Amino acid sequence: ESPPGKPIISKCRSPEKETFTCWWKPGTNGGLPTNYTLTYYKEGENIIYECPDYNTSGPNSCYFNKKYTNLWTIYVIRVNATNNMGSNASDPRFVDVAYIVEPNPPQNISLEVKQPEDRKPYLWIKWFPPALVDITSGWLILQYEVRLKPENAAEWEVHFAGQQTHFKILSLYPGQKYFVQARCKPDHGFWSKWSPVTSIEIPSDINMSD
Amino acid sequence: PICPNRSGCQVSLRELFDRAIILSHYIHSLSSEIFQEFDAQYSQGPGFFTQAISMCHTASISTPAGKEQAQQIQQKDFVILVIHLLGSWTKPLSHLITEARRLPKAPDALIAKATEIQEQNQRLLEGLKKIGKLVDPEIIDNGNYAVWLGLPSLQSNDLQSLLFAYHNLFRCLRRDTHKVDNYLKFLKCQIAYDGSC
Repeated sequence: ESPPGKPIISKCRSPEKETFTCWWKPGTNGGLPTNYTLTYYKEGENIIYECPDYNTSGPNSCYFNKKYTNLWTIYVIRVNATNNMGSNASDPRFVDVAYIVEPNPPQNISLEVKQPEDRKPYLWIKWFPPALVDITSGWLILQYEVRLKPENAAEWEVHFAGQQTHFKILSLYPGQKYFVQARCKPDHGFWSKWSPVTSIEIPSDINMSD
Repeated sequence: PICPNRSGCQVSLRELFDRAIILSHYIHSLSSEIFQEFDAQYSQGPGFFTQAISMCHTASISTPAGKEQAQQIQQKDFVILVIHLLGSWTKPLSHLITEARRLPKAPDALIAKATEIQEQNQRLLEGLKKIGKLVDPEIIDNGNYAVWLGLPSLQSNDLQSLLFAYHNLFRCLRRDTHKVDNYLKFLKCQIAYDGSC
């Protein structure tokens, strides 16, 4: 039996510039039941607070809802591990929520082959912003990328869609199955993960000439 | 309401906001780059600059730290706030450029970038005054900027103090340009698109 090992704050992330979560990796528990608490103070203050919500974001995490989230303010965050033999604190993590924005992927991707009479057929890709994100107020602005590839291809073909939530692909092979994904990024921040794969098979009898 | 007769005024407000946002986005990107380049070039080990964190001179300007706070502010007051935030950097940027030659390792690229930020900041300030006029004729730039007393620290003979002073200035510049960019994108939707982009 020994005091706990040193925990590590592994990641802090805000999905929509209004709330944020930090996760930590426990150290060794010294063979004893070990308790973890997250404490923080904010730039320009001396008050030490404890994590407001250990549950919402799952194990080994602390969730800060809107009430506890201030942008452009440095949070100095530590995780403390305690058991009967002693305690151990993580290194401090300096967090400004303005710079940890990483949205969730776009959702509900829909694919449709459109065959206008007077023009070439094309693949019409449409998606929705991630859930629970307000993009109408202008507080968060998302840009999108889509990628697609034929079923057996190794390389993805990536397209930047700007702030649009749809995209048109013109060069298609009849009879070919395509995989499609989308992701998004705030104007200043990190790309989301790619969305789950969506697929479509282009009809074999499609006429690709104008 | 703003633009009561709707026609030309709202269109030109959208155009003015779009131009201002192109500038504010660019200025913040430059500020982020200059902050990271300074950190990479002058940091003396992990956590070296965490001791350098001190209050920004613009902390005296009360600014919203979240969307809900931003939604509580009168649009006219919000435009004035952004003008003050921007205007508060005219003096520090000017001295930063002049004094930066003292820094070791010939920071020419850094000075060039700071000069570009200074120039674009002035253009953006002019643009905001135009926006202000359209939003509310009462909006005037009374020069009520945050006071900056940092010149002596940029002239320090002690290298660590000098580096800490510049680091904190670049950190605050990155923060305030991010605020301005964020606020303008928000205000554009609130003012020029009736609250819903």
